[in-house]
Amino acid sequence: MSEQIREQVSAFLDGELPSTETELLLKRLTRDGELRESFGRYALIGEALRGSNNALLTKGFASRVNLAIDGEAVPAASPVVATHAARWWRPLAGAAVVAGVAAVAIVAMQQRSLTVPGAVTGTATTAPATVADAPAAIPGGVSALLAADRQPGAASTREAISYTVPATPLETPAAAPTGRLSNGRLTNYMFAHSKYSYGLGQRGVLADLLIDDDEPAAAAREPAKPVPVRAAP
Amino acid sequence: MIQALRHRACTGWLVPCAMVGAMLTSAPARVLAADDPRIWLEKMNQALATRNYDGTFFHLSGGRIETMRIVHRVRAGRVMERLQSLDGPGREFVRNNDELTCYLPDQHTVLVEPRQDRGPFLGSLPRFGADTNQYYRLEALPDARVLGRTAHVIVVNPKDQFRFGYRLWLDEKTAMPLKTQLCDSRGEILEQILFARLDMPENIADSELAPAVKTDGMRWVRQGPALEAPSMGLSGFRASELPPGFKLTVEGAQTIGDATAPASHLVYSDGLATVSVFIEAQQPVAEAGVDASPSTSPSMPPEAPMQGLARVGSGYAFSTVVQGHQVTAVGEVPALTVEFIAHSVKSGADPASH
Repeated sequence: MSEQIREQVSAFLDGELPSTETELLLKRLTRDGELRESFGRYALIGEALRGSNNALLTKGFASRVNLAIDGEAVPAASPVVATHAARWWRPLAGAAVVAGVAAVAIVAMQQRSLTVPGAVTGTATTAPATVADAPAAIPGGVSALLAADRQPGAASTREAISYTVPATPLETPAAAPTGRLSNGRLTNYMFAHSKYSYGLGQRGVLADLLIDDDEPAAAAREPAKPVPVRAAP
Repeated sequence: MIQALRHRACTGWLVPCAMVGAMLTSAPARVLAADDPRIWLEKMNQALATRNYDGTFFHLSGGRIETMRIVHRVRAGRVMERLQSLDGPGREFVRNNDELTCYLPDQHTVLVEPRQDRGPFLGSLPRFGADTNQYYRLEALPDARVLGRTAHVIVVNPKDQFRFGYRLWLDEKTAMPLKTQLCDSRGEILEQILFARLDMPENIADSELAPAVKTDGMRWVRQGPALEAPSMGLSGFRASELPPGFKLTVEGAQTIGDATAPASHLVYSDGLATVSVFIEAQQPVAEAGVDASPSTSPSMPPEAPMQGLARVGSGYAFSTVVQGHQVTAVGEVPALTVEFIAHSVKSGADPASH
């Protein structure tokens, strides 16, 4: 990413990019997947350093972000204190560091995987055929249509980061329907639920249904690294 | 796939509306200051529902970002809306009043489905009153700049770990949400919407609401509403305990996916967050890879029971088996909440009184 684009991204996230330049940045982002990924990470870091307008951030998160952008090793449990950088992107040392920060941030969303005892694979793979066979209804439901291009057991790259922590070791990890709308039944449930959720929640569901989850299967099949499960109070 | 729910007599889907109404009538007992966050949330809801707008926004969730376009038009009381993915597979949703059409070019399919809700795609928030205030703390933060404009910052903080909160940056002039964040009880961001462009034209041409997808040769699938009552075996299932503030607001039945029988669908809400609980009789499970059930589609082997927790979108799902039934709770709430509710579901349980 060039310095100019980095400046633009920073100014945009600060709400200070002129509209003409915003249009240009938007066009770049729309056609450049790599830039979008960087943008997402920078947005996350920016929120952390700004303290999200006094919103609470966990000490661990803020300190890890700061350590990461300062190029230091990130300990498992960091001592504290977020400082506010004038330009939050300034100290970014490189993609590896940024990726590390993103990974740390994702720890906030740790969870156990959904496990399927005696897992039967094939929801995603069998559904399209069913759809084609029965035009009057939607066999397999929305998921059959929306998840048709997903490979069996293929979690997205995001899932590979976000969905770790199997409660128990999975004997057939490729069959475990982990994460984000990757399981047909869950997709159907969420779509049915979206009718009854309030607007902002519904928006999240609809946005997810619009998204293409076509991710590199090889990366998706990498076994997830376990991280501690957040203890329920 | 989706079939309409049977609303509970007197206490059905109208309950949240009634709750909101009660909030409205109780809250204005004293005059609210013009900068009160409740006033600004009401302005936002009004703007989202009644104004014309055309914008492009980023949707950040789970470390990933997508660019989407929203077009919303109100003309002669008729609402048309279009939500389009700009960097995905070209999927689009178009809502024409109470009908939702999903264009799925990658699947060569168009889904048409009635939607009872008429809320805007961008969402809104219920009004805040005494009930909601028990579980959420509403506050205004200092103004900030978004998209080169001054924005009022409103924060909806959950008071416990059973629900998520929101932060909203509302345009000072239009009250449109230029930026919104879904956060957990520790303030960590789970999902973010950030506008890059937002126009509010007086008129929006029909062409702006027409899908870019060419539908020639695509298969159209229309879902009709069909009222169903839960089967006798499912109607007795209820959550015996609920997190504070959650109440049963809707119950009914609908067929999920290609299931051979409808599932019971219970909706619990605290007035802001909602959790759906689906209860289905377990299908006979074949040994791995062997379809032993003649009653299911030959191309869809019966699915094994699900057990455990998964993240779905910005929320969670928790699934377990109760008395030979698959019980799954889903919602835009923390994992703790779906797990709590799913674990408390029992047949013949007294309705939870929280």
